[in-house]
Amino acid sequence: MSLKHDIEFTLNGVKRRVAVDVTMNTLAMLRDVIGLTGTKYGCGEGECGACTIQVDGASLNSCLMFAVDCDGRNVTTIEGLANDGRADALLDAFVEHGAVQCGFCTPGMVMQADHVLHKHPRPDEACVKRGIEGNLCRCTGYKKIVDAIVAADGA
Amino acid sequence: MTELKHYFAPTSLDQAVECLKDGDVTILAGGTDLTPQSQAGRVKIKHTLMNVRHIPQLSGITLEGREIRIGALATITEIMEHPLVKEHLPVLVEACDHFASDQIRNAGTIGGNICNASPAGDTLIPLLVLNASVELASMPEAKLYRHSMPLSTFFVGPGKTRKSLCELVTCVRIPVPAENHVARFYKHGTRPALDISTISIGVAGTLKDGVMSNVRVAFGAVAPTPVRASQTEQALEGQRLDAATIDKVAAVARDEVKPIDDVRATAWYRKEMIHNITKRILSHVAQA
Amino acid sequence: MNVAEKKPRIIQPDSLIGKRIQKMDAPEKASGRTRYIHDINLSGQLHGKILRSGRIHALIKSIDTSAAKALPGVHVVITAADIPDQRPIGVAKDHFPLKVGRVRSERDEIAAVAAESEEIAEAALKLIKVEYEDLPVIGNPEDAIKPGAPLIHPEPHGADGTHLHLKQGTSIAHKGKPDNIAMRFDYAHGDVVQGEAASDVVVEDTFKLHYVTHCCMGVSGMIAEFDASGNVLMYSNTQVPFLHKREFAEYLNIDPARIRIIQPPIGGGFGSKLDIYPFEVICLYLARAARRPVKMLFTREEEFLASPTRQPVLLTLRSGCKKDGTLTFRQVHTLHDNGAYTSWGATTPFVMMQTFSSLYRVPHCDYHTAAVYTNNPYAGSFRGYGNLQATFAIEQHMDMLAEKIGMDPLEFRIKNAQDAGEVTGQGMSFKSCGFKDCITTAATRSDFSRKFKENAANRNKPGNIRRGIGMASMLHVGGGAKIYPSDGCGTILKMDDFANVTLITGASEIGQGSETVLSQLVCEELGLPISAVTVVNNDTAITPWDVGVHASRTTFIAGNSAIGAAKKAKAKILAVAAKKYEAAESDLDLRGGFVIQAATGEAIVELSKLLRNLHFQDKAELVMTTFYYEPPSVHQDKGFKGDVSAAYAWGTQVVEVEVDTDTGFVKLVKVTGAHDVGRVLNRLGIEGQIEGGVVMGQGYAFTEDLMIENGVMKNPNFRDYKLVTAPEIPEMDIAFIESMDGEGPQGAKGVGEAPAICMAAAAANAIANATGTRMFELPFTPEKVYRALHGQTPKLYWKPWKAE
Repeated sequence: MSLKHDIEFTLNGVKRRVAVDVTMNTLAMLRDVIGLTGTKYGCGEGECGACTIQVDGASLNSCLMFAVDCDGRNVTTIEGLANDGRADALLDAFVEHGAVQCGFCTPGMVMQADHVLHKHPRPDEACVKRGIEGNLCRCTGYKKIVDAIVAADGA
Repeated sequence: MTELKHYFAPTSLDQAVECLKDGDVTILAGGTDLTPQSQAGRVKIKHTLMNVRHIPQLSGITLEGREIRIGALATITEIMEHPLVKEHLPVLVEACDHFASDQIRNAGTIGGNICNASPAGDTLIPLLVLNASVELASMPEAKLYRHSMPLSTFFVGPGKTRKSLCELVTCVRIPVPAENHVARFYKHGTRPALDISTISIGVAGTLKDGVMSNVRVAFGAVAPTPVRASQTEQALEGQRLDAATIDKVAAVARDEVKPIDDVRATAWYRKEMIHNITKRILSHVAQA
Repeated sequence: MNVAEKKPRIIQPDSLIGKRIQKMDAPEKASGRTRYIHDINLSGQLHGKILRSGRIHALIKSIDTSAAKALPGVHVVITAADIPDQRPIGVAKDHFPLKVGRVRSERDEIAAVAAESEEIAEAALKLIKVEYEDLPVIGNPEDAIKPGAPLIHPEPHGADGTHLHLKQGTSIAHKGKPDNIAMRFDYAHGDVVQGEAASDVVVEDTFKLHYVTHCCMGVSGMIAEFDASGNVLMYSNTQVPFLHKREFAEYLNIDPARIRIIQPPIGGGFGSKLDIYPFEVICLYLARAARRPVKMLFTREEEFLASPTRQPVLLTLRSGCKKDGTLTFRQVHTLHDNGAYTSWGATTPFVMMQTFSSLYRVPHCDYHTAAVYTNNPYAGSFRGYGNLQATFAIEQHMDMLAEKIGMDPLEFRIKNAQDAGEVTGQGMSFKSCGFKDCITTAATRSDFSRKFKENAANRNKPGNIRRGIGMASMLHVGGGAKIYPSDGCGTILKMDDFANVTLITGASEIGQGSETVLSQLVCEELGLPISAVTVVNNDTAITPWDVGVHASRTTFIAGNSAIGAAKKAKAKILAVAAKKYEAAESDLDLRGGFVIQAATGEAIVELSKLLRNLHFQDKAELVMTTFYYEPPSVHQDKGFKGDVSAAYAWGTQVVEVEVDTDTGFVKLVKVTGAHDVGRVLNRLGIEGQIEGGVVMGQGYAFTEDLMIENGVMKNPNFRDYKLVTAPEIPEMDIAFIESMDGEGPQGAKGVGEAPAICMAAAAANAIANATGTRMFELPFTPEKVYRALHGQTPKLYWKPWKAE
């Protein structure tokens, strides 16, 4: 049997305790143990950004993070961001600007965009493009995503 | 499937080095490399997985005398945004800016980047030309022991360093550059970041009255480790940065490196780039 | 209320066509609520994994699964020996899902496991022991056609040399193939000898097109379940549910009526889900054997290794023109790397020959191609379907011919571009044609002519940055493509008490926005807001038949089908209203949710009220209509001639680059595109299609390269297979030419594939304009460009060859 460890952390504003395999990554914990599937598996190597979450206010690839390392930390997923109203302007901007096609990269893109906007209020296009350089999208060509993020801050 | 038997998250350096004593420990810091490597089975986690995140002695970026101390847990983002680094070590900021992606910069640590010892590690080239040293802690007897070694002697091969299994990297120390210090970094890839370097080049030294001295040159992705380029340094040391010198130094650099062919580039192209970019960097320094 | 009744309410005309309409599924997707296959879990579900050969070409000497079967948590382990009724799959029926006797590529499926968890399934795979005997590898198509080359599909023999005598069937998988030629196409119109004789200038060059792959962000997967009666429920990513339903039934040897396919939203398609792949059939076998639902998902590495690719092509093009700029002929020989098995990639010459024969006026055309078996990954269909490859060669030759006769490349193109009403040598009839508009619009908006001359003049100035501008145009089917007996789509439309519409369409949504466009078209007929429509499009038990998402056909075909159903509903509603309100049907219309007086816009009755009245009476009637649309296109004859599409789409892209001669790095600065789309239906959606296609074309031209060496994939990851990232995208200026196609839905034509097609060709022309150096081989990585600039690239030449 693989080694388990109990961790306690805040997930989308709610304190919770969970027993995880020590070798498990945070992406697998979120999807397979906790059942939040908004965070996506795209590559498992930190190259695509589909699994982006926020931990203690910084965006991270959840596939590159051991689940045990969530212990004592504050974790936000797309479900948390989408539900607490704080990112409504951003989500609306993604919809209005046509930033969504197949949508598979979108939750990770939104999580990263939210982080970019917190770090760089009123960003220009170049700043946004660099900000989402770790998020791959195969459908949109990024332009409408960049437009949406730039516009969201002005909203 | 693994012999992992123990997870440990020490809250002090003493606890950590005590744990390292038996050497059968895998150290977890930012996790950006260990997580995918272990998931894919390319790295096997040892008896104990030790998460060093909660050790306060590994954090922080401070000025200590004439050295800037960067704690091993400092993330790439923390480094590039820190006022001390921005003021004194802009070349390191530039390298950090080319490092992977924002998400990875937010998680990846300087200690991890050093211990991974990638031949193409983005922060390693500026650290080499900034004459950084690395501090290691261990507990050979019952007492915490620390010692330093120059980063230039730290790397042994891809993923291999002189750090023993019982040691923990606690920080890097970088001398505050003196007056007239110049430093440049160039990463050759096709993207601003999220790209493994085809080659990278760091050049640093004192530029006074058009003459370069205290020269340090380092190259990435042309050898099994990031390397200092002694012949290139010698060719540049004490020379006036005129067109003839620059041409000569660039040619020495091209001849000095012994890169290999891989999926990113051929050895021939890497040598060409070492030549052309060295020339470009030195021309910029001369014009600045 | 009384007041309102006294003062007539006037409903102003309004239209959704051409507006920026939000994608209907975007809010769910953006907030992470959408459930893709990856997010669906059934109770009792097992996890399936496949053991792949890892060998490139070898005989299977033995397989021992005993240790895997003994691992706790493992339910089923299967190899070919466990499935005696395996049927061959693929476009040429040349392989079995689980390989029999021999492996022919790195990704070949040897065995499969269904277990309690993915981890256990993976552990079980490691316990399967396979003995192989390696065979000589054919790593490129040129070797495959050499006399005496090892055969990839010889008659099947066992490892001990005995003939396997596979029972039943005459397919390649059963009886083998005496040569390595998977498929060949030979086409001609006119007489190229005569064409060449009439030419003042002739150029001939070899072009080499590389391997790329789709890289859908959502990895491949499926869930299969058999119910107690043996009926099959599949959650699948297919783009072609109805045709695949029949195929799956054949592989399971059951009645197709017993197969139901549900298509959850998919994480990208781009043509990759057009064929049935071994993993899907294997997942069905596992579910059948385990009597439990089995879910199978690829890892990203597996997605690279075991997904289809775009087909690599070696191509020698000979073309000519007269001094006055009239094109005279094109002679083309191509060799396609089919890989080990045949998927749709082998049939891309259908599209390539359209481009060779009909992009510009070509009086004489001769085209020969062969797709040959190698031990490489096998090629499937990919957005553009051969057109990127053909256009890459043709549009470079357009520049080269223009230069030879000293003509401006823009003028040369316009001189040879077709107008509406023309019929090409291949029989394609251009009823709407905005070709010249595309060329001139893209050229004008980018200031092409001035920049082209300036860049050429600045080539030898000091400095390491060279600027270049280049153009390329494309022709692609835009009104479906009649490759199956039918190219149609069915629609069922029903309206409820509240004037809401449920649109049940056979057309699949793969992220391209078809749901939204179809809703718009229906709303346009019924005078309703887009929020009134619910689209049902993902369940073969409910939706009417459709050929599938391919050939840029969905807007055109499914759109016309939806309009047909909506028109029938409208006729019914107006007939009821006319009777009830004692008016002539022709005087009434639907607008803003009301039945109105067509002439004045005066509201007569709220549509929802009318519908409720219709329902709540003893002779109740429902508004429910069906429509099946079949486009007026024809099948090609044996010589590949015929008007295969109901409409054709055109486009021109102008690419501007900066070449760093010190490093070979080419920065893509700007893309100016002009696309004849018939008519813009959803401006937001079509911009997204074009921008995404441009960037996909950018990846093809500059960054993406699936490196295969002797059958081994060197870079099955996003680290070294480089998709374009956000900071790399160019400035984009996209214009739409509205040629208002007479057959198209509201005048629209298909556009899904068009935007990716021109980029590589235009980029090559831009690099030539910047540096004077021609790039004949993709992709334009820094090293490749640097080598070419420094004379380190030997001139490519592939001697024209055709299969006998």
